[in-house]
Amino acid sequence: MSADVSDLSLVRRVQRGDKGAFDALVLKYQHKLVKLVMRYVRNPAEAEDIAQEAFIKAYRALPQFRGDSAFYTWLYRIAINTAKNAVVSRDRSPIEYDLDRNSDESYDMQGRMKDSETPEGLVLTDEIRSTVNAAIDALPEDLRTAIVLRELEGLSYEEIAAAMDCPVGTVRSRIFRAREAIDRRLREVFEGGLGRAEELG
Amino acid sequence: MNEELDSQLSAMFDDELPAAQCELLARRLSRDESLKARWGRYAVISAVVRAERGVRLNAPLAGRVNAAISAEPALGNHAVAQPRPRSALRWWQPLVGGALAAGVAAASVLWLRAQGPLTTLPLVAQRPPSNVRGAPVLNAGASSASLANASYVTPSTPAVRPMLVPSTQLANYVVAHSMVSSPVARRNLLSSFITSEPPAAEVQELNDHAARTAP
Repeated sequence: MSADVSDLSLVRRVQRGDKGAFDALVLKYQHKLVKLVMRYVRNPAEAEDIAQEAFIKAYRALPQFRGDSAFYTWLYRIAINTAKNAVVSRDRSPIEYDLDRNSDESYDMQGRMKDSETPEGLVLTDEIRSTVNAAIDALPEDLRTAIVLRELEGLSYEEIAAAMDCPVGTVRSRIFRAREAIDRRLREVFEGGLGRAEELG
Repeated sequence: MNEELDSQLSAMFDDELPAAQCELLARRLSRDESLKARWGRYAVISAVVRAERGVRLNAPLAGRVNAAISAEPALGNHAVAQPRPRSALRWWQPLVGGALAAGVAAASVLWLRAQGPLTTLPLVAQRPPSNVRGAPVLNAGASSASLANASYVTPSTPAVRPMLVPSTQLANYVVAHSMVSSPVARRNLLSSFITSEPPAAEVQELNDHAARTAP
């Protein structure tokens, strides 16, 4: 399977004027991009702002994207440049921030203090994380191995098939069934979480 | 929800769906909100498994980007980037390149001419008179004191001009080299050869030889 085919098909649709296809790209990469930007700014809310700016820049620059590199590689460069510019313009260096950080514990404390600005966000994020982890733990061994090899190790279906000694079609089916099982639990949390957020608001 | 469709969506998320099916599913994904929500949850699962700590998994980032993009013009009116046609190149660009090259060449020639021919006469002239047998002294009638101070003597035979005539060995090399080298390389070699300065030891040896062979 050629790499980046699915992203490229979405990109081509955006280039033809389909904005909905860009939503799919944002949904797919928003967490990775925020995580990336958080190398430069520790505040999650600020990282989200920078990631949003990077996505908008990417959308505007998409007519110039020819597909010579993977879409995420291209997006990654835009996000890095946007984060660096944001740090410079706010006269805040990540090194200075790191000097303030004495240990991982203090960093966790700082992160939690930032998140405490949106307590419902923190609760939901923790709940989502624990729900997904619990759902993965409850999976049958073959489904759990397939999804972990895919998501955590980044192996292709062919590599997973070799590792698990089964056909590629079986790998595809196992990963899909694992996702479906986790998704069922996740939907309950999202629906319940949204309702709780409205109550809090 | 069609299970086959969801299975395809999962494979597409992993970039493991054939291109033709990707095209069809991308079209549907961009329009079907429930499919898009499922796609988004797949991304959340991925983020949790990869332990992307510090990232708010329920952040309304996608909604904010969507709102911002809605205000933007659709990209369909823009042409996707293509290589620039040759006609768009400015006609004077090759001329500028040629003019620059010619300027550099002219400056090099002028600089070489400004260096002038090399000469070693002062080196020969500073040799003490006692070392030059039979060399006539210019001011023969002067006193011995003034003779001792005299620093200029004229060799009886014209001084060997070691700088302007290449040594036999190097000349032979140039001739041999010219048989196999291209005209440009040959010219470069000759230029550097003529303008190069021989080592001081060679000059000293030639001067000694001239002194010994002088009548």
